[in-house]
Amino acid sequence: MKPLLVVEGLSKRYGRQSLFQNVSLELARGDVLVVTGANGSGKSTFLRCLVGLETPDRGTITFDGDPSTFWGFSAIDQAVYANLTVAEHLEFTADCRGTEANVRFWLERIGLAAFADRPAGLLSTGMRARLKLALAAQAGPQILALDEPGAALDADGIALIDDLVREQAERGACILATNDPAERRYGNLELAIGA
Amino acid sequence: MMAISLAAFSTKLSGTLGAGLYWVALLFASLLTAPRRFTNEEEQRTGDLLRLVARPHSVFWGKALWVLAELAANAIVLAGTFLLFTGQNVAQPGIFALGLFGTVLALAGATSVSGAMASRARQSTGLAATLALPLLLPIIFLGMAALRTGLGDGVVENGWRSAVGLVGYGIASLAVGPYLFAAVWKR
Repeated sequence: MKPLLVVEGLSKRYGRQSLFQNVSLELARGDVLVVTGANGSGKSTFLRCLVGLETPDRGTITFDGDPSTFWGFSAIDQAVYANLTVAEHLEFTADCRGTEANVRFWLERIGLAAFADRPAGLLSTGMRARLKLALAAQAGPQILALDEPGAALDADGIALIDDLVREQAERGACILATNDPAERRYGNLELAIGA
Repeated sequence: MMAISLAAFSTKLSGTLGAGLYWVALLFASLLTAPRRFTNEEEQRTGDLLRLVARPHSVFWGKALWVLAELAANAIVLAGTFLLFTGQNVAQPGIFALGLFGTVLALAGATSVSGAMASRARQSTGLAATLALPLLLPIIFLGMAALRTGLGDGVVENGWRSAVGLVGYGIASLAVGPYLFAAVWKR
């Protein structure tokens, strides 16, 4: 079976600090890769390199498809538009990607139906985290990359992650950057950054 | 515009001086707002979300067309109030109108290109304004020549040439913009 993602010799450094060196991996449908490492070790940067938000110093990342629909990405420090409402975010990202917005479905799924018309700037941190999960998974990506997905989420939010990861593993693959023991249990593959 | 009208109170402005004053007002208005359309995504940290879902050419055109509409509104309102407050006569309406259109197009192109180039830098708004300066010099030169002819000073033939030059400059800079933007948008 052809892999969904092939990473060869990926390296990144900031100044004199080497974050990761010569990382190679392959992800196939059904894989859940857990990326672990101490704070500041480069887990988030590794994910950002994969999804195209950072350029690695060396190495190649190969996948088939339009990056905007191939990848779904959510990170704890990712900002949303403070003035756009929850529903407008879902419509806007779907318009940009050229995919179906399914606003009602996603509002129900992330438990924000009652807050559809609330500007994202007025949401709590946990609500914003749910919105970012919806924006990441909305287009049905081939690979869902989640950076510290459980941070700031309550029990319902954790259950949402559980659903999304299992669903994603059936559709494609998933990458989680986390040190949370509960989230590490999702993985069938593990990559330790900075080890 | 209020300051210009007070300064020119009971004074008949020449076409050249009128065009110069109009340009000061237009440049001030456009440099304050236009480059920010490109840099505010980074300042508000929403650039990552946009980068994940949108193609760079679409982002550039969305922003550049918004800048164009904003500058067109600026230029038209400024031209109306300028003519009203200073009592200037438009001696060559065709040159004046084409000059204004070319000015808006060229300013939109230049500020979009400079905004695109500076969008990923720290202190990007200041850098965008600095980068815009050399791009603005030919526009100021051509725009002054077109508007002063439109207001009754200068040679008509040169006025037309300058107005057409502005339109060409605008089209060229808007054509280059998406490629520059795509190069710096994803790093």
